Formats: sequence, C-alpha cells, structure tokens
Amino acid sequence: MPDRSSGSAFPPPALGDSLARGWDEPDEGLPPSDWGRPRGPRRTATVWLFALFIIALAAANAWLTDRLTNEAFLAWATIFTAISLQALPFLVFGVALSAALTAFVPVSFWRRAIPRNSALAVPVAGAAGAILPGCECASVPVAGGLIKRGVAPAAALTFLLAAPAINPVVLVATAVAFPGSPEMVVARFLAALGAAVVVGWIWARFGRTGWLRMPRADHDPDASKWRVFRESMQHDLMHAGGFLVVGGLAAATLNVLVPREWVIAVADLPVVSVLVLALLAILLSICSEADAFVAASLTEFSPTAKLAFLVVGPMVDLKLIALQAGTFGWGFVRRFVPLTLALTLIFTFVVGGVLL
Amino acid sequence: MNRIAQGLVLTLLGVAALSCTLASDLYLNYVQGAFRPFIVGAGVVLVVLGVTAIVMDLRQARRGPEAEEEHAHGHDHGHDHGGHGPRVAWLLLLPVVAVFAVAPPALGAYTAANAASSAPRDVSEVSYDELEAEPGQPVEMELQEFVMRAWTDEERAMAGREIRLTGFVVANPEGEGWYLARLQMACCAADAIVNRVLITNEPAPPEDSWWTVEGSWVEPEGGLQEIRDHRFEVHQMTEVDNPPDPYE
Repeated sequence: MPDRSSGSAFPPPALGDSLARGWDEPDEGLPPSDWGRPRGPRRTATVWLFALFIIALAAANAWLTDRLTNEAFLAWATIFTAISLQALPFLVFGVALSAALTAFVPVSFWRRAIPRNSALAVPVAGAAGAILPGCECASVPVAGGLIKRGVAPAAALTFLLAAPAINPVVLVATAVAFPGSPEMVVARFLAALGAAVVVGWIWARFGRTGWLRMPRADHDPDASKWRVFRESMQHDLMHAGGFLVVGGLAAATLNVLVPREWVIAVADLPVVSVLVLALLAILLSICSEADAFVAASLTEFSPTAKLAFLVVGPMVDLKLIALQAGTFGWGFVRRFVPLTLALTLIFTFVVGGVLL
Repeated sequence: MNRIAQGLVLTLLGVAALSCTLASDLYLNYVQGAFRPFIVGAGVVLVVLGVTAIVMDLRQARRGPEAEEEHAHGHDHGHDHGGHGPRVAWLLLLPVVAVFAVAPPALGAYTAANAASSAPRDVSEVSYDELEAEPGQPVEMELQEFVMRAWTDEERAMAGREIRLTGFVVANPEGEGWYLARLQMACCAADAIVNRVLITNEPAPPEDSWWTVEGSWVEPEGGLQEIRDHRFEVHQMTEVDNPPDPYE
C-alpha cells in the first residue's frame, strides 16, 4: 500500500509544474509578513479595483451587449457561458462534499471503511463511485478530499474515474439516449469500471506519492469544524474553479472551431473512427450526464466508436485535465492522463468487441 | 489574490448565477430549464461563502495590524487555506463578464448551419402514440418529434395531417428553399443538436427570425430514411417573438 504524502516530498521541478503554483509554495503575491508593512492600503486598493470592475460591468451591460454582433464570437460566448453555468452546481456540490469530508468525518472512519490492502481497496472505491450522483466536476474535489483524509491515492483516483461514468443518473441518461439497446448501458458500465479499477491497480503498484501535489491537512488544531469547512471550501473553489474556467474556454473554442463534417468524414473507418470519437470526447468536454445524447446523435458511427465517446469522455477531457491540474498539479496530470486514456481505449475495444 | 479579493470574486460569481436565473430567464439560453434550482442553490452558497470571507477579513482588519501579523504567521508555515488564492482564480471573473457584459444570446442559425443535422436513427421498434389534436386544429409538434417521426414512423401517421411547428430560419446555401430549425439540448448549449425541415413553397424570411408554421409533411415516395431533409409544405405562417425557451 503506497503511503500518502509525508508533506515534504516535493516533486522534481518540471516545465508544467511552474504553471500550477500555489499549493505548497509561499505566497509571492504579497510582501512577506515580516516586512511589517501595514496591509490596510492593499485591502482598500482591492476594494476600489472591484468597484471599478463592477462599474465597468454595468456600463458594458448597458452599452456593449447590443453591439456585439459577430456570430462566431457570440456562439463561442454562449457555449462558454453554458459550460461554466452548467458545471457550477456540480463544482459547488463536489467542493462542499469534499470540505465536509475534511471537516466532519474523522480520519479513523476512513481507516475502517476502506480496506488496508490497496489491491482490495481499489475495486471497493470503484464500486463506491456508483453512488455519487454527479459529473466529473464533482468527483475531482471529492477525490482530493479523500486523499487528504488518508485514503490511499490509488483508491481515491479509482473513485474519481469511476464516479462520473457509472453513477445511476448517467446510466439512466444513457438508457434514455439509446432506446432499445440496453447493451450500450451494460458496455459503458463494464468498460468504465474496468478501466478505472485497472488504472487504480497500476497506480497502487507503480505510483509515487511525490507525483501528487496535495496540500498538507494541518489545520489549526483549535479551529472550529465550521471554520475548517468554510476555509477548505473556499480554497478548493479558488483552485478547481479557476481551472474549470480554463477547461471551459478550451472546450468552447474547439466546439465552435471543429466542423462536424470533418468528424463524420471518417465514420466508416473501423479503428480510426473509434479514435476520432475518443478525441472528440476529449475536446468537447461534455458533462457525463449529457454525453450519451450527443453520442446517440452521431449516427454514422459504429457502436464501438460511440462507446469510446462514452467511456473516454467522463475520464479524460480538457475540462477534467484542467481540474485535475488545479487540484493535484501538472506532474500528476502528465502521468495519470496518458495512463487513463490508454486503458479506457483498451477497455472500449475489448468490451465493444465482445458486447456490441 | 488576497482574502478580500477571493471573497469578492466568489460573491460576484454567485450574484451572476442568481441574476441570470432569478432576475431574468437568461439561463435558458445556456442550460436546460431543469437546472434552475441547482444554479440558484450554487449561487446562494457562493454568495454566503463570499460575504463571509469578506466579513471575516474586514473584522480582522479592524482588530489591527498586530492581529493580522499573528494570523499571517500562523499560516505561513503551513499551506494556505483561506490564505492567498492562486492567480488562476482570477479567471472565475470571466463567467461574470460573460453573463453581465456579453449576455450571449441562445445559439441560432450560425450554429444550426455549421452543426451536422441529426441523422435518421436506427430505431426500428419504436412505436408512436396517436397524433392528438382538437377537432379543426392542427397537431402541435416539436420539431424534434416531427423529424424523428418523419424518419422512423413506418406507418406514416403524419401523412395528410395539418401540423404546427415553431422554429427559427436558417438559409440553405446549397439549393432551393430554407430550413425551419430548432436546437435540441440535453444538458447545456455545448451538446446542442439541430433538427430541421426544408421549406420550399415560401420565400425565405430573414435568418434567425422565429416563425410558427402550419402545413403538412411532404410524404416521400421512396423509403423514409433515404431522405436527407424532410420537406414541409407551408399553408400559413406567422412570425413569433423569440420563445422564452429557445431549445427543445
């Protein structure tokens, strides 16, 4: 069983790491506190800055809104707003659940609930994914909260991968989108759970704690539970939320830029079509509760290609990569994402070949 | 990002979520109507969290610089819970800008022209209900239902019936006529799919204008699924204001 981060294990510096600062490093945004400079003026400046921002928003609302007429830009803005707005409740829910796990559930509970042996803990965590009724935006902060509480990273990551793909809401949506073909629901469940569990096992065997960039859970021992809850929620929202916006920007851009005709042109090629729909799932970053409807509309493609869309999408996509980078760091994403992608594809081909 | 800025960002984000759901129907341009209570809930949580953060920070400021020093020291050796946020968090203001300053409209003809239209589905055993209508009135249908039936209802129940559809106008660059289209959305605008019918017996109205048309399905002579776009013969059409919910 891999031990969890001792806290002092910094990952080796890497190109990507410099892009995702802010977990363990001291703040560079403010002068060190030992300067003894009063902070009053800085706080006042912040408030003024926001006042100006709000005035600018009001002015733009009155003058600018009707003058924006570029259709491509507006379509992009609509999709970006849609992704952000739709993800917001899931993000807030996930962050709140994660904060509740941190603040209210004692560490001893997890030690009892999750088997010590990680070969056993991984499938248990994968099956537990079936009970979180949300999409990927909720599962990342929850997995972060689990790791903070001492759950083996491999088990928490299995939960992260399985939850958005196999929870009841998603399975029902899949059944609704594919009327008359329940084998699609079964195939999605098996391929997603299989890939998640195998990723967990591989991570348990080869994963290093240093790859995960987690904050140390050293709250003031005298802080009240509610304060821990509030601060951990705010902290997670700042990190995951910012990266969620990055993912939303990328997904909206590709949604507008990639013409569907290009995609449909390759629908008849057996292996390529599967890879193309997997790539499309990564780029579009559609919420796992809605992706079945989009997959069903891609009627030119084979069932296995659609399965790839349904299995890869909830586990690897731009929005999710950005969220993971914000929560666990780039050093983690660089290793975890290719591994997940490879296994989701393998399971898609195997399950699709047998069942569909 | 200092603490008061974090509080302000969260508050603004919450206010944006609340204003586009409670103060207006703007959210219907972006997500399914069913999401409303969840977005309101998230907005309330964000505002409460943001305002609390601001109040705590101001209270600390009133206690004077010594208290702040102490607090800062208390946190410096550890991680930065509730301390200083990462720079990427400033991006959380972008959705706020999008909602207030841009307020983008629902997807329309631009998207419908670029997106692939939903193609006939392989649903052979789907059975349909009777078409219902008041006597003397046309059958009111969603475009999505009309298109599905046109492709898959082998009994051709729609033939000869007077049908009423509502949608927006999309030009047909490749040939005669124009499309009456409607976007179908499962969750949010990112997954919108276009359904459309081809209309050839009326001149094209301006793009993106909304119309309610009454008329009949042009029954194809060959197989139902051999047709790319089903045709609709218009008997009567009236322009409508944008419907409150632009998607189906």
